[in-house]
Amino acid sequence: MGTMPLMQENSGGRQRAPAYRRVLPWIEIALLVAAIPLPWLVEDFWILFATKVLILGLLAISFDMVWGFGGIMSFGQALFFGVAGYTAALIATKLDVTSVLVLLPTAAVTGLLSALVLAIIVILGRRPTTVVFVALGTLTGSYVVERLARGWSYVGGQNGISSLPRLTIGGVEIEEGILFYFMALGILATVYVLVRLLMRSQFGLVLAGIRQQESRIAFLGYRVQNYKGVVFSLGGLIAGTAGGMYAFHEGFMGPGQLGPVLSTQVVLYALFGGVGTLIGPIIGVGLIEIMSYALSQYWETGWPIVLGLLLLALVMFRPTGIMGLLVSDRERVGSFGRPKQAADPVAGTRHEAA
Amino acid sequence: MDVVPFVFDVAAYSAIFVLVVLGLGIIASMMGIFNFAHGEFVLLGAYTVYLVEGTGMPSWFGMLLAPLCVAIVGLVLERLVIRRFYAAPVVAMLGTYAIALVLREGVRGLLGGQFYNVSAPLVGSFGLGHFSISKWRSAVIVITVVVMVGCYLLLVRTRFGLQMRASLENPALARASGISTSRVYAATFALGAGLAGLAGGLMVPIYSLNADLGVPFLIKSFLAVMLGGMGSFEGSVAGAALVGATSAALPWVIKPVVANLLVFLIAIVIVKFRPEGLLSRWRS
Repeated sequence: MGTMPLMQENSGGRQRAPAYRRVLPWIEIALLVAAIPLPWLVEDFWILFATKVLILGLLAISFDMVWGFGGIMSFGQALFFGVAGYTAALIATKLDVTSVLVLLPTAAVTGLLSALVLAIIVILGRRPTTVVFVALGTLTGSYVVERLARGWSYVGGQNGISSLPRLTIGGVEIEEGILFYFMALGILATVYVLVRLLMRSQFGLVLAGIRQQESRIAFLGYRVQNYKGVVFSLGGLIAGTAGGMYAFHEGFMGPGQLGPVLSTQVVLYALFGGVGTLIGPIIGVGLIEIMSYALSQYWETGWPIVLGLLLLALVMFRPTGIMGLLVSDRERVGSFGRPKQAADPVAGTRHEAA
Repeated sequence: MDVVPFVFDVAAYSAIFVLVVLGLGIIASMMGIFNFAHGEFVLLGAYTVYLVEGTGMPSWFGMLLAPLCVAIVGLVLERLVIRRFYAAPVVAMLGTYAIALVLREGVRGLLGGQFYNVSAPLVGSFGLGHFSISKWRSAVIVITVVVMVGCYLLLVRTRFGLQMRASLENPALARASGISTSRVYAATFALGAGLAGLAGGLMVPIYSLNADLGVPFLIKSFLAVMLGGMGSFEGSVAGAALVGATSAALPWVIKPVVANLLVFLIAIVIVKFRPEGLLSRWRS
């Protein structure tokens, strides 16, 4: 039962192995270069739109880290996103705190803690849990918390928490617009680089091994459950940061941001862009949000149907997403150590397993 | 607290829930697929009854037709889509989720976001002491028991049941013995879908018809199947009865929101510590 990002491996991987061109860094640089002058080139509406894409992009890479690299199917990313957003929103409205230096770290830590709690229930423990159990457990968590938020009047019930104050930094309001855009871009870029480094480190190598064959890594003496718990919790941290930003960007936090609908939407973003590439999910967010916006102008009720058909087509015919068209399998899954090195442990295991 | 309405309420809800879980459990056990579109199969069953009633025919006829229609839908989906997913449970989840989305939103478009009432074939209630018991709900309990026994006999006593169990136990050997596992899987999926359609048809007079009819059942049904242990018919039924009865009984005692949370939490924790299911010890 291979995890999905690895499903289409070994199609002539050996022949291609000696030399391959790195494409990912160019895509990453190109997107960053395009993102910097963007706010001066487009109208206000599109700045807000782009900021939302950046924030959801953060959520999408949290999922990609957990599933694409950690091999944990998480339908709970919206749970961490929403719980963190709710917490930040509550602190802002009940305690009159607006400093971004307090609220975003709080959101991040809340995301981390809620992921840790969920990890203790569905991942950690003496016995390894199955991928199906983790998927259904996280889905259940997301569903339950949404129900709870809908029924709890302290957090606004069905209506959620609205009219949030603006974030401030040292007395300056961070208005939705150029300033917020660059804050989101800065956070996204920083998190992106950190996650990328982590996933290409020895830690990432262990994760790759776990994805490939969990029992073999366990026999080598690694505590597989703990590695999964760590990557899951880090995913919660990132999703929480995104949730905190989302709440103040939209000025609103509602039960819809907690539940399975957003959780599965995140999965779709990542699948569409290309799981296991980090940049793919961000592209996925951008494209899907643009399509959603364009289509909802003309045919509002039709969008979810199109979304469903798109997802179905993806899992049936193109599980590697858009990035699968541009990036070779080898680069997508990642190589460790310097490219020149003859011994590429992950590639080695892969071909052997295949 | 009055005992009779309480017991009846719990029994009626559990009966509907068992019926929903039965189809899901059969598909999950036999094929290892958690069908996210199961709630939408329930919805399609309910929708069929609504359509049939709309043409002026009695609703019991729609309830007979519902399982057939949904089974055909299930069969077509299995042949076109689901059979690609047998080796990959996570991909199957995403694929069936996508199907669910298309079906649900399609029906929502057809219904126009409205709620519709469908009349029950049996109207009214009969008295028991000074309580009144709804006739249709009682009928649902009886039908559930009959269907349950029927499914059990199908699995244990018929040639098809034997082939199903063989395909579950050891697909390779089953194929070697001349059983077309692909055909058995298709039939199993259609059976599961048909049961969901029946559940939808029977429940629609009780809950009014809307596009989200099946949604609340889905996650609870997954938990019930895992609780009972995948791979056994009795397990799914027992898990469903347990989850159904608990989630119907708890709101009588504590706040519904908290009750919901508790049911899910307890179920998840039990499954974590007994991943092979509650009945595993008893069976071995």
